[in-house]
Amino acid sequence: MNYDPDKVWPSGLTLREAEELHRHIIDGTRVFGFFALLAHILAYFYSPWLG
Amino acid sequence: MNNAKMWLVVKPTVGVPLFLTAVAVGSFSVHLAVLRNTTWVPAFLQGKPKAKAASIEVPGGVPGSNAVVMFQGTDAAGVVVLPDGRTARVTFDAPAQTAALLPGAK
Repeated sequence: MNYDPDKVWPSGLTLREAEELHRHIIDGTRVFGFFALLAHILAYFYSPWLG
Repeated sequence: MNNAKMWLVVKPTVGVPLFLTAVAVGSFSVHLAVLRNTTWVPAFLQGKPKAKAASIEVPGGVPGSNAVVMFQGTDAAGVVVLPDGRTARVTFDAPAQTAALLPGAK
């Protein structure tokens, strides 16, 4: 189903703007995930967590 | 990117702060749960007591080079380090007993 690229949706955004915003949301989530992964690795090695 | 269309319905001025707050609240509660349910996180935050040191004037010693008493953990035991590096392990008596040993004590 292809969307009209210029249609403004209830949120006030067009599809292109929504996808542009969501790309940033995904990038930010990945950065958060990277730091969380690093913290868990450090906790695994330097703390009694998981024996 | 298949969730991008949520922003056609949810206003970003509402959705983005809500999303970030939810992540913060989630992260905070997990940290709190780990803090409450483990012993090693509070121990990590507590850390080890820093060895307290007392400096004692050594008569006739080189000015400024005093003996140092390093207390480890409790105030009852420690290590005396003389300026020349020699050390001695010491156990301190309770204040009441020490008073009796002082010269001139009745």
